[in-house]
Amino acid sequence: MTAQTLHPRVQIVWVLRAVLLSALITAPFVGGVYLEYLPQWAPVAVGAVVLTLTIAHALLRYRRWSYEIREDAIYLDRGVITQVRTTVPLVRIQHVDSRRGPIERTAGLASCVVYTAGSRGADVRIPGLTPDGASDLREELKRLAIRADGEDAV
Amino acid sequence: MKLAPQSVPYRALQKAAGTAVALFVIVNSGGFGLPLAVGGGAAILVAMFAYEAAYYRRFEYVLTEDTLDISSGVISRREREIPYRRIQNVDVSRGVIQRAIGVAAVDLETAGGSSTEGSIRYVTPDEATRIQREVQRRKSDANRPDDAGEGTATSVDAVDRGREDAFAPDEEELFAISPGELALVGALSFDGRLIGLLAFLSSGSFPVLSSFLPETSAAALTATAIVGVAALFLASWLIGAGVAFSNYYGFRLSRAGDELRYERGLFRRYSGSIPTEKVQTLRITDNPAKRALGYASLSIETAGYAPGQGGESGNQSAVPIAATDRVYRLAHEIESFGTPEFERPPKRIRWRYVVRYAMVVGALTGIAYAVNWYVAAPLPWYGVAALLLAVPPAAHLKWKHRGYWLGEDHLLTRNGFWGRTVAVVPYYRIQNVIDSRTVFQRRWGVATIVADTAGTGSLTGSDAAAVDFEIEEAEALKETLTERLATAVAERRSEESDRFEWIDEDGGRDERADRDENVDRDENVDRDENVDRDEDTESAGVDAEPDTTPEGTRTDEASTDDATTNEASTDDAAPDDEPDIPDDGVVRPDFSPGDRDYSEPADRIDTGGYAVDQNPSDADVAHGPGFDDESDGGAANGDRDEDETNGDRTADSDDGDPRA
Repeated sequence: MTAQTLHPRVQIVWVLRAVLLSALITAPFVGGVYLEYLPQWAPVAVGAVVLTLTIAHALLRYRRWSYEIREDAIYLDRGVITQVRTTVPLVRIQHVDSRRGPIERTAGLASCVVYTAGSRGADVRIPGLTPDGASDLREELKRLAIRADGEDAV
Repeated sequence: MKLAPQSVPYRALQKAAGTAVALFVIVNSGGFGLPLAVGGGAAILVAMFAYEAAYYRRFEYVLTEDTLDISSGVISRREREIPYRRIQNVDVSRGVIQRAIGVAAVDLETAGGSSTEGSIRYVTPDEATRIQREVQRRKSDANRPDDAGEGTATSVDAVDRGREDAFAPDEEELFAISPGELALVGALSFDGRLIGLLAFLSSGSFPVLSSFLPETSAAALTATAIVGVAALFLASWLIGAGVAFSNYYGFRLSRAGDELRYERGLFRRYSGSIPTEKVQTLRITDNPAKRALGYASLSIETAGYAPGQGGESGNQSAVPIAATDRVYRLAHEIESFGTPEFERPPKRIRWRYVVRYAMVVGALTGIAYAVNWYVAAPLPWYGVAALLLAVPPAAHLKWKHRGYWLGEDHLLTRNGFWGRTVAVVPYYRIQNVIDSRTVFQRRWGVATIVADTAGTGSLTGSDAAAVDFEIEEAEALKETLTERLATAVAERRSEESDRFEWIDEDGGRDERADRDENVDRDENVDRDENVDRDEDTESAGVDAEPDTTPEGTRTDEASTDDATTNEASTDDAAPDDEPDIPDDGVVRPDFSPGDRDYSEPADRIDTGGYAVDQNPSDADVAHGPGFDDESDGGAANGDRDEDETNGDRTADSDDGDPRA
């Protein structure tokens, strides 16, 4: 299996998140203007800068994100500022969830979370899948994990 | 089994005493009169007594064949079964009062929860020791589940049990702290918490204080400050020494069979057991002072927790201090890694640290300047910049103390100058391998590889990490770790089934049929399914290897309907035994003409064979007939070869895929 990219619609989810985040960041500046501590242009400038940065981050994040399921492990490659490549050996999979958060539901997407016993295990989350894709991936991983099943390391 | 009867009044007093006294004081001072106050306090005590009596009545624990069952609870009942093989540690602790009235608390840790899974409060010390030993004994029984249900099982069990009992009291002492070492632990311990607390408190009060300060010379002010800081450090040091002394008083570590036992504590006695097979990571730590004196500490991590890290006991290592070579001997005793020769990061990376530290010094200078400007006193703020002189050596030291080493079965990483940690991670314990590169690391062309384990140390950020290595080296390291993990798992599994074979020898000749019938041995059935599945896919995949890969890609890329049908078909095929029989028919006549044993490794390798489409298992079977007794080693070697080729082959298919 070659490296898979995420569903393009996940960009919508991430851009929405970016907008929410920049709104949160801009809010105090708006308050500052309201209380006349700051000039009028301050929140506009801050908002614009933050929004550009976060949206760029979201888009870059989509472009960076890829995952690959090989016969022995899941490989994830992601991260804009800190690039992270994770290898999750299939023998180490404890359980697999497919998940749909509220924003993901509105975009018609789902994600798949792979748990290992590792202390950073819950980090392994593959977002931006179609609901069917997520449950297929879950089933596929389940099948592969059972096949690769070893004695548990814990 | 019941708790110790003394636990009723003890628990009641422990829980209610504070409340009762508080109530007494409040009511008494509130003007309600002494009788009412006494009455209120007594009422609470009585209520608590009644509750604890009920708790005592309803608390019951049983050591069954495979689980420790605890049923407890007065208002809401809770029944809990903890399988022995899941138990990580059994800890017994006894405080001063507990020792006086003769009770002990038993805590059982599993990897699951963040809190202690089974807590038995309180039993008599003898009973506590019995639980500890019994859990250990039954666990080592439970770890050989294959015996169950076999004809020879009972005798084998009996032999095992006899042996266990024989060496159960036979503890081999690994380490006992000497008074000199204890003194050294005290001397080198430093409790930073007081400083932190005071710094936190004083940070708020500084402006207030400064307004009260009379007009004094700067010299007097600095003198006071220096004396104050010195006193603070002395106090922290004394507290740290006291805490360490009482924690490690009478420390001893011993080995009994396949578990480690430790004991320590002056006021509160702790004793615990750590099964060696549950050890996730070893950590050897030292600091400049210890290094200069030739000492180091060792801590042992399991998935449950690192011993002694829970709650009140603070941060203690398994072996608080010992001469460095002794620590390494001990560590080898637990995990036999070789003599490490650490690879250092590339030398140029020292410039990265120089830049980093220079920036820190710059920031500090800035702060000093700001303070100077704020206080408006002629302080020599630029003096801070003198720290720049320390930057190059600091960078060099940081670089010098980083490194990693790939041992036969272990990954060792080393980090830190002030608190240098050497982490020993068996390949088999690796959970994930993470390769991360920050923006700055990318600029320097380096990467960090973290081997994540189930140990709890990683939660505190002290993972086994190879930091700042050349990207190619890091990638190679990542590949190697993943590969070796696969090898280790396969080896582990072939060992498992070796054990299985030994027991099974007397069992039926047609062992497959045997297994299929015996549903109660679910372990075996599981394994059997694995075999089936592997063989299935192998029969389909080995000869026509390219077939499987496109199938895989189709599954995930193309229409989901297709995927589901594919999956359904494989799922259907997997439990079907029919396609296996011809397979067996092929394998058996070749390799087991007279003796059934030789057919076993074939099965085993298939199960152990980690990925499906690797070289055919025949190669390994060929080792079988020749080496009857050495079959273990032969199988293991075979496995390793197999997996290496497997790794190569995955790489090949990886290269192949993008072209396709």
